[in-house]
Amino acid sequence: KDGLKQCLAEFRQQLAWVERLDVTLGPVADPVSQSASTSDAVDPENDFQREMSFYRQAQAAVLEALPRLRKLQVPTRRPDDYFAEMAKSDQQMQKIRQKLKSKQEAMERSEKAKQLRAMRKYGKKVQVEVLQRRQKEKKNMLNAVKKYQKGLSDKLDFLDEEQTSSQGNKKGNASQRTKKGPNAKRRYKNQKFGFGGKKKGSKWNTKESYNDVSSFQSKVAHNKGPGKGGRGGKGGKKALNKRPGKRARQKMKNRAR
Amino acid sequence: GKWKNKERVLIFSSRGINFRTRHLMQDLRTLMPHSKADTKMDRKDQLFVINEVCEMKNCNKCIFFEAKKKQDLYMWLSNTPQGPSAKFLVQNVHTLAELKMTGNCLRGSRPLLSFDPIFDREPHYALLKELFIQIFGTPQYHPKSQPFVDHVFTFTITDERIWFRNYQIIEEDASLVEIGPRFVLNLIKIFQGSFGGPTLYENPHYQSPNMHRRLVRLSVAAKFREKQQVKEVQKIKKKGTKVLVEEDPTEVVFETPAEEKPVEIQLVKPESKPIVKDKKKLRKIQRKKQKKLFRTEG
Repeated sequence: KDGLKQCLAEFRQQLAWVERLDVTLGPVADPVSQSASTSDAVDPENDFQREMSFYRQAQAAVLEALPRLRKLQVPTRRPDDYFAEMAKSDQQMQKIRQKLKSKQEAMERSEKAKQLRAMRKYGKKVQVEVLQRRQKEKKNMLNAVKKYQKGLSDKLDFLDEEQTSSQGNKKGNASQRTKKGPNAKRRYKNQKFGFGGKKKGSKWNTKESYNDVSSFQSKVAHNKGPGKGGRGGKGGKKALNKRPGKRARQKMKNRAR
Repeated sequence: GKWKNKERVLIFSSRGINFRTRHLMQDLRTLMPHSKADTKMDRKDQLFVINEVCEMKNCNKCIFFEAKKKQDLYMWLSNTPQGPSAKFLVQNVHTLAELKMTGNCLRGSRPLLSFDPIFDREPHYALLKELFIQIFGTPQYHPKSQPFVDHVFTFTITDERIWFRNYQIIEEDASLVEIGPRFVLNLIKIFQGSFGGPTLYENPHYQSPNMHRRLVRLSVAAKFREKQQVKEVQKIKKKGTKVLVEEDPTEVVFETPAEEKPVEIQLVKPESKPIVKDKKKLRKIQRKKQKKLFRTEG
């Protein structure tokens, strides 16, 4: 140790500070300071913390040295028209700038892509929701129409928008149902032609149709009526039901043509 | 003004350096206008030859890079005629050309030197600080220097090592950008003379790279050996100790030995049986014969 001190004493040069330009200071206090609370020892493994401590040390040095230099009239700022050779060539600086730009662009692109993807997902969700809503509405509408047709509800409320309390209404109308249904004609036709089901025996007599004598006209049946405007006694019976024969009818047809 | 502080630094290396070291050397030469270059030194020559080389070039300081085993880089900093000198192990080298170093500075501008307060606390660090100032500081009014002060070298002591960084001063409010290069110095020894002489200080925390590699290998080997041992112990446990059962005298009571057969000695070789490939075939043939007979009879 003494040897060291002796050597240092011999070796040391007594130069003006201007020549040496050395500053020995600790780092600047960190405004974001966890560093003040934690011990002075910077964890050397934590790269960011370490580099920040170096940075702050340099800052402290600069903050101290620049005013001193200015006092000693040593210029510190390079004037804008002073062109001289730089430590790194212009080409190198170009490369650096390119790299930074490309990095930034890549980041922006990835951000945009992420946003697009998120938007598309959201749009898809919204679309699905809208379609489902429409389907639901359609279904409800059709149900309401069917109900009305079948005579379960006589209210034409479904034509108006948005029945929110449709459940409540159904229960209210249960007691007031009247059986309108389709027309008699429609019902007959449905029975005859529609809804699948029995078609085979639709033209056969049933008990009801056999017992149905409503289409019986006794005067026509006994030929007692006023015989088509009252002809004479002669050939009345036969004349009434006189239908020309096949041959005659065909002749008539041909003549008509 | 007149250039009074006549410092000249000789920067050169031995043979066998890799590209990174070469670039680092070149970077130092660009950053320090008071430096001179020299050809590679042959490893055969002794170190004190360097003193003569420096004298020939009229330099009074020297930075010498020595590469060993194509892996380890050592750096000597020395004040050539009388000393002192220091040897370091260099690690984590990043050069000026790396694209992450975005700053730039005038070629030959004078640097500001910033030191950690720890440098003032220990005598060996104080000596090193003096050495750094004299070597890295560009003399004022040097013909190749630029008059502006626009960058700062920082020397920080962390983890028993000296970290070197170079920042560009952008604004007067001390906003900085790193220029590069970067390296980490691990002090080995300080000598009183230049490239020799009595040892003034030896770094107790220093571990030679060989030792470091050896320790790593040993630890790996130790792990492996431990695993083997554990396996062996497990094997022994599995086999288990053999339990000795006492002889039970009542066991023999119910044993009836089998009757001994009379020993027959065969003198004549027995007839060999005909080899029948199909056992059933014989029977088949017999049946057919019988049927035939039966048919002819009946």
